[in-house]
Amino acid sequence: MATPKELSDFLIAIERRAFKQTAYAVRDDHAALDIVQDAMMKLAEKYGERPATEFPMLFQRILQNTMRDFWRRQKVRNLWTTLLSSFGSNDADGEDRDPLETIDVEDDADEPSAQLARSQTIQLIERALEKLPARQREAFVLRYWEEMDVAETAKIMGCSDGSVKTHCSRAVHALALELKKQGLDKLGLSNAVFDKK
Amino acid sequence: MNMHKDNMTNTKNTNLIDDSVISDPVMEEQIARGISDLLNNRAQHLKPELEQRLSAARNAAVNHLAEQQAQYSTANQVAGHGHVLRWFGHAGQNFEQHRVASTALIVVVMLLTFFAVQQFGSTHNLENSDAFLLASDLPPEAYADKGFDAWIESN
Repeated sequence: MATPKELSDFLIAIERRAFKQTAYAVRDDHAALDIVQDAMMKLAEKYGERPATEFPMLFQRILQNTMRDFWRRQKVRNLWTTLLSSFGSNDADGEDRDPLETIDVEDDADEPSAQLARSQTIQLIERALEKLPARQREAFVLRYWEEMDVAETAKIMGCSDGSVKTHCSRAVHALALELKKQGLDKLGLSNAVFDKK
Repeated sequence: MNMHKDNMTNTKNTNLIDDSVISDPVMEEQIARGISDLLNNRAQHLKPELEQRLSAARNAAVNHLAEQQAQYSTANQVAGHGHVLRWFGHAGQNFEQHRVASTALIVVVMLLTFFAVQQFGSTHNLENSDAFLLASDLPPEAYADKGFDAWIESN
């Protein structure tokens, strides 16, 4: 059985990543926070008696399911909104705002030019990641960002190992293509990574 | 039309370049890791209000687990002070946690026991009366005859 300290350490380690992953998927910081909070609570409530080594996989599964629930609810809400708005006035006050506008630029103490280049690269990647189909993004995030192996990723996504590999490969191709379109080749990416370290 | 053709050629060229760049699985892995590193770095720098909310959510989850475990240990202590359910070991702790289910289970077991005892008792009576009839000097029909009792009393 995991202790509260183990749970706390685990959550500290993953909470920021979990938030960003969710934010890329749902494109709304507040919704992302709610989803992460829900996932944390479910982990403590339902799986608190499990050993801490099982937490990463359990948490990711809960997080993905909570996101799916959110999308389902969102779909129903959108349907009602569409139906109701057809009867009401159509004064769209910023409904279609670009979520990327809300992304803040980090304030590193590096050289301004390097900082700007890195910040732009990250923004491009974030934008490209948001554009990915949900399954590809999920596979990419779990496999490369969460550093899970193919089998674990497949288990969480509920698909075969082959599908995970296909999704990952397509995601990387799509991201690379998007970066290339924006004038960032793999060298530019490598430099950005190198600069960060 | 020409412009469209040019665009198509450009797109094709771009794809070719990208495909060649990441046709190698090692390179694909490297690009993916590079992107993940950048995203990881980005995730470490959140706005203070977001950090605060995440921290509050984490504390709520951890407190919930602590409370759950405190309740669990209290239940164990109750079971530890001569409670019958402790004889069942870990199953006994489950009884403590699911009181309604355990009460229902106990009632069902008691009812089953009651019916089993009843059944056993009636079977036992039948066996006794059969044994009496077989061991008796009179034939069984004599006991079914109503006039036989009157004849015994008159004599």
